Amino acid sequence: MIKYLALEIRRSLRDRRYLLLVAGWPVAAYLLFSTVFGAAADRSEGLPPTVAIMVAMASFGAMGGVLMASGPRLAMDRQMGWLRQLRLTPLSPARILAARLTAAMALSLPAIILTFIAAALVKGVGLPLWEWPALVLLIAAGCLPFAAIGIVVGTIADGDGAQGLTMVLYLVLAALGGLWMPVAILPSVMQTIARTLPSYHLAQLGWHIARGEAPALGDGLVLLAWFAGAALLAVAVSRRLTLRSA
Amino acid sequence: MTYHPSAIVAGTPGLVAAEDDGECAVRVDAVTRRFGPVLAVDNLSLTVERGRTVALLGPNGAGKTTTISMLLGLSKPDSGSIEIFRSAPGSPAAHADVGAMLQDGGMMPGVLVGELLAMVRSLYMSPLALGEVVDIAQLRELEKRRVDRLSGGQSQRLRLAMALIGDPRLLILDEPTAAMDVETRRGFWHAMEGFTERGRTILFSTHYLEEADAAADRIVMMARGRVVADGTPAAIKDSVGLRVIRFSSAHAGIAGLETLPGAVSATAHGSRVELRCSDSDSALRALIATRPDARDIEVAGVALEDAFITITDGLAA
Repeated sequence: MIKYLALEIRRSLRDRRYLLLVAGWPVAAYLLFSTVFGAAADRSEGLPPTVAIMVAMASFGAMGGVLMASGPRLAMDRQMGWLRQLRLTPLSPARILAARLTAAMALSLPAIILTFIAAALVKGVGLPLWEWPALVLLIAAGCLPFAAIGIVVGTIADGDGAQGLTMVLYLVLAALGGLWMPVAILPSVMQTIARTLPSYHLAQLGWHIARGEAPALGDGLVLLAWFAGAALLAVAVSRRLTLRSA
Repeated sequence: MTYHPSAIVAGTPGLVAAEDDGECAVRVDAVTRRFGPVLAVDNLSLTVERGRTVALLGPNGAGKTTTISMLLGLSKPDSGSIEIFRSAPGSPAAHADVGAMLQDGGMMPGVLVGELLAMVRSLYMSPLALGEVVDIAQLRELEKRRVDRLSGGQSQRLRLAMALIGDPRLLILDEPTAAMDVETRRGFWHAMEGFTERGRTILFSTHYLEEADAAADRIVMMARGRVVADGTPAAIKDSVGLRVIRFSSAHAGIAGLETLPGAVSATAHGSRVELRCSDSDSALRALIATRPDARDIEVAGVALEDAFITITDGLAA
């Protein structure tokens, strides 16, 4: 199973278009936003813009890396017949699923690390030493719901459809979740919606750490609830699909 | 465990099971599978002893792929039971014992042939050596090629390697030579001979009677989800009648002709009668005695494919 997991990660890292999308984009967006808004006073998060935007873009890229590694790839593997082939091996469906979830989670890391490096080197962002690894691990762990959401998307949609659906979800979650602009500047209805989204709470986790605080339990609980909901949905749709196609 | 010299034709099931005394590779008991209104597999019973090479022969839509899919645990029968070495299809034990080539089996996109084989190999308890599998499947030059950049024939060789790598006791192959040219096909069956020499069992599907005749020591013919004939290739050919006697007769009725010694079936086209025979010499002597008015008599061989059509049409009638 370790070898399968490793191969899942390796094939994603080898995919240049994927890397450009999930790591190049957030880094470029970080450099742009932090240059445009970098001179402003502290944002509503109570952080310097270069730091607040760094956490937001790292979360944005992490979420994209996980969603893209999970949904479209599952849809593609299903369509190509690879999942059928893999089911003939002694690797059980539960282990296949576990490996895919883990691989998708691991693919949050390139965006987080590259955004942090860009922030430190180009924008001179400095944080207490412990905060860097804490941020990397927490943002990566906070991506769990997106891995499960990806499994749902990859189960219900085929190749191109899954790619498109993932992209829409990605952009909507990012924009409404306050990753591109502070939620405070949004109308109050939108703010209420934002507070229900996993992307909002993912960013909150990171901003707490960047302020030197402990992460809030509430954010973690909302993320866990999204994971549980998506996981249940994934089980339900995959069961319905096997009943229909078997 | 010698196989029946005579064919077991539809309607007389149970003879194979009665002979079985040891552990069988495959045991299918009264399995039925529907897709909506379509009866894909109809009360199918089948036993495959270990060490055999068995061909599942039939036209498209005969239920071969559905049967194979159930043997592999990829779909479940509506009723009836299946055992693979006494384990349930799709169980961990069955997965370890069975290697398979699927018609629609795909490969992990974006990885190299060598990487994929090494990964799949790591999933088995006692796999074959990587180099051995690469040689059997003739993939030596392709190890560094991406799996999504293989030609049809190369992909088929990779499927073979994936099927063999776990060193399975039973190989289940769904139309294994479909994408192969004549040369590759010969190499493929040569490799399969090496596999059965080690006491392994092969069950493969095909719609070429010639391939089944050349590669298998037993042919199970399927049509409309049922077994219509089952026996050695020689017995199958005898039972369908591989020679034909054609003659014209004033009274073209075919009554009594089918029961002539050596005859299998008779059909009339106007005044011309066609008599399928397993032994055309005996049939011809008997024919002349019973039908003295028979004229323009000719005796000819029947192509294997025609014989195949005869037996499946016989079921439909």
